[in-house]
Amino acid sequence: MHAWSAAVDTVQSHLNAFTNTTGIPVNYGNSPWAQYREGMVTKFVGGAPLDMMWVSDAWLPEWAEAGWISPIDEYDFLTAYNSEAEDFCTDSMTYNGRQYGLTYYTDFMAFFYDESKIKEAGFDAPPATWDEVVEQSLVMKEKGISDYPMMLAMAQESWLIEFMSALVYSHGGRFTDDAGASIMQHEKDGAVEALQWVVDAVDKHGIVSPACVETGELSGLKAFASGNHAFAMVAKYRLRMLNDPAQSQIAGNVKQAMMPKGANGDHNTVGWMRFHGMATQSAQDKQRAENAARLIEWFGGKANGEYKFQKLLFLDIGAGFGVKPLFEDAEIQAAYNTYGDVDTIKAQQALALKKDVVTPWFGEWAETNGSAWQSAILGNVEPAAAIQKSADLWDELKSSY
Amino acid sequence: MRHLFGYEERSAALFLAPVMLVLMGVAVFPIFYSLYISFFRIKLTRPNRTPFVGLDNYTDLFTNELFWVSVVRTVTFSVVSVTAIAVIALLISLLLNQNFRGRRVLSTILLVPWAIPYVANALMWKWIYDSGYGALNGVLYQLDFIDKYMIWLGDQDKTIFLIANAFVWKEVPLAAILLLVSLKSIPSDLYQAARVDGAGVWQRFIHVTLPAMKPGFMLVMIYETMMAIRHFDLFFILTEGGPGDASHVLSWHIYVETFRNLSFGSGAAMSYVLALVTFALSYVFIRTLGRRI
Repeated sequence: MHAWSAAVDTVQSHLNAFTNTTGIPVNYGNSPWAQYREGMVTKFVGGAPLDMMWVSDAWLPEWAEAGWISPIDEYDFLTAYNSEAEDFCTDSMTYNGRQYGLTYYTDFMAFFYDESKIKEAGFDAPPATWDEVVEQSLVMKEKGISDYPMMLAMAQESWLIEFMSALVYSHGGRFTDDAGASIMQHEKDGAVEALQWVVDAVDKHGIVSPACVETGELSGLKAFASGNHAFAMVAKYRLRMLNDPAQSQIAGNVKQAMMPKGANGDHNTVGWMRFHGMATQSAQDKQRAENAARLIEWFGGKANGEYKFQKLLFLDIGAGFGVKPLFEDAEIQAAYNTYGDVDTIKAQQALALKKDVVTPWFGEWAETNGSAWQSAILGNVEPAAAIQKSADLWDELKSSY
Repeated sequence: MRHLFGYEERSAALFLAPVMLVLMGVAVFPIFYSLYISFFRIKLTRPNRTPFVGLDNYTDLFTNELFWVSVVRTVTFSVVSVTAIAVIALLISLLLNQNFRGRRVLSTILLVPWAIPYVANALMWKWIYDSGYGALNGVLYQLDFIDKYMIWLGDQDKTIFLIANAFVWKEVPLAAILLLVSLKSIPSDLYQAARVDGAGVWQRFIHVTLPAMKPGFMLVMIYETMMAIRHFDLFFILTEGGPGDASHVLSWHIYVETFRNLSFGSGAAMSYVLALVTFALSYVFIRTLGRRI
C-alpha cells in the first residue's frame, strides 16, 4: 500500500488493526503529496510492486487510460457503500462507467465570512449572491473596514482549478458538458460570467486585490486569518484553523455561508475527493486482488461495522468525509460544532459538484487555462477571449487523445 | 595489447574502470538516451503509444507560441541579470582590491548570499516581495516612499526584473571573487609603468585593469549566462511561471512539459535546444572575449 505522507500514525495503526483482524500483512509506504503523482507514475512505469494506493480524483482518467489502476465494481461488497456516499464522490471515482475505488476523504470549496466585519458594515446576514458580495464589500471599503474585502487566491498553483470551478459552478456555468465537450466559452452556461465577475471585482469595484494573481491558497488563508478581509473562498477544512485562537486573529468570528450564487447559479460549489484504488498488477492475481479489496473496504468502507478510518481522519486532522451517515455521528457533530455549523456544512456538501475538467489531458490544459484567467485579471485580454483560448486548447487536446 | 600498453597504463585503466563505468551509467548513457527519446512522442501516462516522430518534437517548438514567449522571457532575464552581476561584481571587486580597515569583514559578509542554498534564497525573497506582509513593502512604507502596499510579483511588468534582482543578489559574490582573483593577478609593474607614462586613474583602469581582467570577465560571463539561462528555482518558488506568462522562462517551460505533462520526448527535445543555445553563447563569449587573451 502506498499513500502520501498524511496522518501517517493513524494510517499505520489502522493498518495494524487490519493485519490483526485478517492476518494479511501489509507493507506501507508513503511519499510527500507534492511529489506523489510523479513518483507513482514512475513506480507504475517501472513495475514496482503495488496492490492498493491513494488516488486523487484528478488523476483517475490518466491512470485508468494508462492501465495502471483497475475498477473495483466487480466487488459488490465495495459498491454497496455507494448508497451512503455523496453522489459527487462516486461520480469522481467513476471513469468511463467503471468505479475505481472507495473514498476516504472529501472536501469542498467553502465561502467564509468574518461576522464582526459584516455587522460593523451594518448588515444582518452574509451575502447570498455574488452581487451582494460586491454590494457589502463596497460598503466595507467606504467605511474603511477592509481595503479588499473579498479574498481570492488566483495564483498559478494546484488549488487554482478548485477556485475557478467554485466560481464557475456558483454562477451556474460549467467548463464542459456531460460528453466532455468544451462549453466554458459560452456566455451564460460557461465560465465567462464567472471570470467577468472576478475581473470586475479587481478592476471595476476594487474589492479583490490585484495581487490575487500572486496569492496562493495558503497566503490567502493567512491574510484572511490576519483579519485583512471580510470574505474568503477556501477549502472547508480550513474552518477549524480559522476559528482556532492559536492560529487565527479572527477566531470565533469566522462563519460559513452557502456559496453565493450568480444570476443563473444555485449555491453550487466544487468538491474533490481522494480514494483508495487497486493497482492493475494486483487485479491480475485473484488472491492479491481479493486481499486488496478487503484492504480497500477496511479503509474506504466500514471496519468492524463503522466508517472508522474516515472518522479517525476527521478527528485527527479535520479531513472531510464522503459518507453521509457520519454527519449523524454524535462525536463528529460535537467536533464540527466547536468551530462550525454542521447543518451548513452538510447542505453545502450536498451541492458540491465534481470537477468537470478531470480528463487525461487535464494537466496539459490547466497550465494554459490558469494563464488565460490570470491574463484576463491583469487586463491583458478580455474575459471572453481568454476563455475562448482555453476552450480552443481543450478541443485540440480532446481530439488528440 | 600487452605490447601496446605498459604495466602503468594497464594499472591505471584497471583502477579507473569502476569510475568510468559509473560515469557511463549516470552521465554518458542518460545524455545519449535523452537524445534518443527526443525523437519519440513519449508521454509517461500513455505508455502504450510511443511513436517515432523523427524531428517533430524539435520542429513543433518553432510553431509553439508559448515556447517563443519563454525564449523572450529567458533572454530578458539573462541579459538583465548577467549585466547587473558583471557591473556590481566589478565594483565590489575593485573595492575589495583596496587596502582599508574592515576589508576582511566585508569580504566575509559578501559571501553570505552565496552560501545560502538556492531554495532558501527563493523562499526568503518570496517573503520579502509578498504584497501583504513582505519586508520590502514594510520598509518602503515606513520610509514614506509609498503610501500603500505595492504589488510586486503580481505585477507582470515588474515580475521578471524582481526575480532577476533575487538572482543577482545570490550570484554577485561568486562573480566578485572571480574578478577579484583577476585583479590580484595584475602585476604592480604594469601600474608603475603606466604611472611613469603619465596615465591617470581612469586611463590606468581602462588600459591596464580592464584588459587584464578579461579572463575573469570571460569566466563570469560564461558561468553566469549559463546559470541565468537554465535557472529554475526562483521561478518555481516565486511565481510558477506567472502571473499570466510573465515569468514563463525556458527552464519552467521544460519543467512543465516534462514533469507536469510527463511528456518526456518533447521535454528532452527542449532540453537539447536549451543546451545548444547555452553552448552557442559560450562559444560566442570565448570567441569575442577570449581571442585577445
